[in-house]
Amino acid sequence: MAEATVATKVLDHIVRSIVDNPDSVRVEAVDDDGVIILEVRVADGDLGRVIGRRGRTAQNIRALVRAAAEKDGVEVDVDFLDD
Amino acid sequence: MEWVTITAATMEDAKAMALDQLGVAAEDAEIEVVEEPKPGLFGRMRGEAVVRARVRPTSTRESTRRDRGGERSERGDRRGGRTRQRPRNGERRRERGPSDRSADDEAPRREDAPKVPVTTVRDAATTFLEGLFAAADLSARVESSIDGDDIEIAVHGDQLTMFVGARGMTLTQLQDITRVVSQRRLGDHDTRLRVDVGGYRQRRKDALGRFAQKVANDVMETGTPRILEPMNSADRKIVHDTLATVEGVVTHSEGDDPFRRVVVSRAPGA
Repeated sequence: MAEATVATKVLDHIVRSIVDNPDSVRVEAVDDDGVIILEVRVADGDLGRVIGRRGRTAQNIRALVRAAAEKDGVEVDVDFLDD
Repeated sequence: MEWVTITAATMEDAKAMALDQLGVAAEDAEIEVVEEPKPGLFGRMRGEAVVRARVRPTSTRESTRRDRGGERSERGDRRGGRTRQRPRNGERRRERGPSDRSADDEAPRREDAPKVPVTTVRDAATTFLEGLFAAADLSARVESSIDGDDIEIAVHGDQLTMFVGARGMTLTQLQDITRVVSQRRLGDHDTRLRVDVGGYRQRRKDALGRFAQKVANDVMETGTPRILEPMNSADRKIVHDTLATVEGVVTHSEGDDPFRRVVVSRAPGA
């Protein structure tokens, strides 16, 4: 599977900067039929903060991570999950 | 809090421009649609997108939290956790007494909430952006300037265009995330934060300035005043400021937002 090293680092940095529990942030890449899905897990109470009102923050994070993925030369999507 | 009214070709642009002018994260803005462009003949859009926006008053925060669901009951614990587990913020936190903490970002009365130092917001935004560009493996220099409650952050470097995007869309999203990370996280309600990457906004500003200069030349030549297209206040200011230094023309604005326009006319006696 192609690697999304830059996109993963960017996603990790953004989410850690937003949440209350940065130590609980985990990013994992899974291959979904050629598209790399970056699954980001945050501490229980932090999901709302990462998603934001009407999903605005999540939408912005996705856009920035996709932009960063250009450097990896891959297509990525981001899924937000809580523990 | 004051409302701003923005007119643009599309709803997306109007909303982005409104946030731009307010200088706060989308989460902290209240945006109302005044008018939507309507589909006309041949798939063209008629009319313009008009939105009204303001900084969300803190007193309505409590109710907006409700639709985020499931996290209210944990707030007390999380707050405690934050101070313990984020040592790098500990220093800043200590500037405010423990009693202030509850006023942090749920403060129902804006006046009573201690003001977050503008430099603290600037530092948080700078740290975030430096880390972001480092994570993206790009060498970038982050510079900032503060003017009252206005914070301008400019990121310089090569190959930064991937964070600008088509028509500055990615830059707008980056700016919004930066506001969430700095203003919102710190419970700041006073600053206006703008982010530029690779001089994109500066170039747009320069282009508008050149356009204004060209109009001024026409007006001086013909003597006929020119009424410009309606613009938002930020853009009108660029036109006024640019032409303030040009001899032979004067500018003023006419009409009410969203249709307020700059008029460029020959200076009396010129």
